[in-house]
Amino acid sequence: MTQAEETKKRGKSAGDKPARRGLFRRGTAPLLPEAGAAGAPLTAVIAVMSFLAVLAMATLLIVNHAASEWTSALRSEITVQVKGASAEDISNGVEAAMRVLNDTDGVLEATAQSQKDSAALLEPWLGEGNVEAFLTIPAIIEVKASPALRDNLDLLRNRLAAAAPGASLDDHARWHDRLASAARSGQALAFGVFLLVMGAACAISIFAARAGLAANHEIVSVLHLVGATDAFIAAEVQRRFFILGLRGALIGLAAALAALVLAGLAVRAGGGADNFLPDLRLGGWMVLWLVTAPIATCLVTALTARLTVLNTLSKQY
Amino acid sequence: MNAGKEIVRFEKAGLAYEEAPETLSDISMTLREGEFRFLTGPSGAGKTSLLKMIYLAHKPTRGRFFLFGEDAMEAPREALPALRRRIGVVFQEFRLLDHFTAYENVALPMKVAGVNQNQYREDVSELLNWVGLGDRMDAKPATLSGGEKQRVALARALVSKPDLILADEPTGNVDPAMGERIMKLFVELNKLGAAVIVATHDLHLVQSIGKPVLRIANGKVTRSAGAGGAG
Repeated sequence: MTQAEETKKRGKSAGDKPARRGLFRRGTAPLLPEAGAAGAPLTAVIAVMSFLAVLAMATLLIVNHAASEWTSALRSEITVQVKGASAEDISNGVEAAMRVLNDTDGVLEATAQSQKDSAALLEPWLGEGNVEAFLTIPAIIEVKASPALRDNLDLLRNRLAAAAPGASLDDHARWHDRLASAARSGQALAFGVFLLVMGAACAISIFAARAGLAANHEIVSVLHLVGATDAFIAAEVQRRFFILGLRGALIGLAAALAALVLAGLAVRAGGGADNFLPDLRLGGWMVLWLVTAPIATCLVTALTARLTVLNTLSKQY
Repeated sequence: MNAGKEIVRFEKAGLAYEEAPETLSDISMTLREGEFRFLTGPSGAGKTSLLKMIYLAHKPTRGRFFLFGEDAMEAPREALPALRRRIGVVFQEFRLLDHFTAYENVALPMKVAGVNQNQYREDVSELLNWVGLGDRMDAKPATLSGGEKQRVALARALVSKPDLILADEPTGNVDPAMGERIMKLFVELNKLGAAVIVATHDLHLVQSIGKPVLRIANGKVTRSAGAGGAG
């Protein structure tokens, strides 16, 4: 029986199914076969990398946002503390300080905290009703100041000292500097984690690209022999890794956003945002920034794979 | 005397695989445009190794090698794909891509060369029809017989209208009628200007075509009686 007869007799087999539509109009498979079993683990690892990258980016943004809010509040307010040997001295000092404050340009609002409020702050430690019996508590005046006044407090400080000898002015500079320093540390840590995740994505991509080349050695060899350039093969590998990376990155982004929303709900349910904890709500612009993390993961994965393939092929004939 | 351009020229070339003794030694031969050579010799004599050097799968370990007038041993790596595209190879073991259909395998050289599909779709279909696989274009190699795979490999080698055709036992898996058709095709392409080297054990085929013969024995190339142009 001739080949042609054999073919006719067998007719079309299951393998004759048209390939899915692609670059060839008749329908084509990608030049490198779908990873199959190898693709799923790679997608999973990239999803984890993307998840961690989004969380690192979210930490960076939340710390930045919280520090900005905290320092802004600290910078817009100053505190006047009035000490005295007796409650009467303190009361007189507060009245004098309030007159100076109300008479000063740039003071937007001045509120003297009552002795009762001050005592309430210490009651958890000294017991209810005991505070005034043990201590002469200094009075606190919270002042909202204009930026111009905030930048030049010397005159006000001198006038307060002259009018109320027990009064002292705290511009919160010490707290502001410490908070800014802590925020910078937090941001640096989050950025460091983000860079580490990108580094890990690079390493995984290098490993996977090399393994992929080894597994597809015969295909790569045939492509070379029919005249494919290294750039052509590298572009195919890059395309493959980009698709796998995009799939993993989207999964990681979705998981991270879900985790952040749940964390935000938990913090709010515990009244966290009212207790000096950062507000974990994600604004629109924050989500946009977060999307850059999986995109970065995806691009790093694809570009690393391309460079790895080019480097590996350059060592061959 | 053929005065065509040089397609292949070896000067005392040798090929050794790693630390092993040379598989091919002191190869000196020239193939010009429009020439046809059979390559014969016992199994393991080095026929496939010689073809591999020509289609730039292995670099000679000594001597000199020119391909299409260019020094292939000194050519930068980036220049090799363009040289390879001018060669059509029918591999002994076919080397089809298993995840591609017959059509995609045949179209592969055009695709890697960046040719638009509109420009080669008809050529690919025509070639597959010519080799009797017009109704198997969407078949994957795993579902093809050995002969069918060989015909797909043949179509892939010819689709880009190469200047040099290398065929390693191209009729080994096909019936005599198809074998004869394939050889006639090589002869026709040769008449159109392509240089052809066919490695084969089939001495009957060699005699029936009546083209010059290069014989490899003990890693050296010799000319059989009547072979012209070699060396």
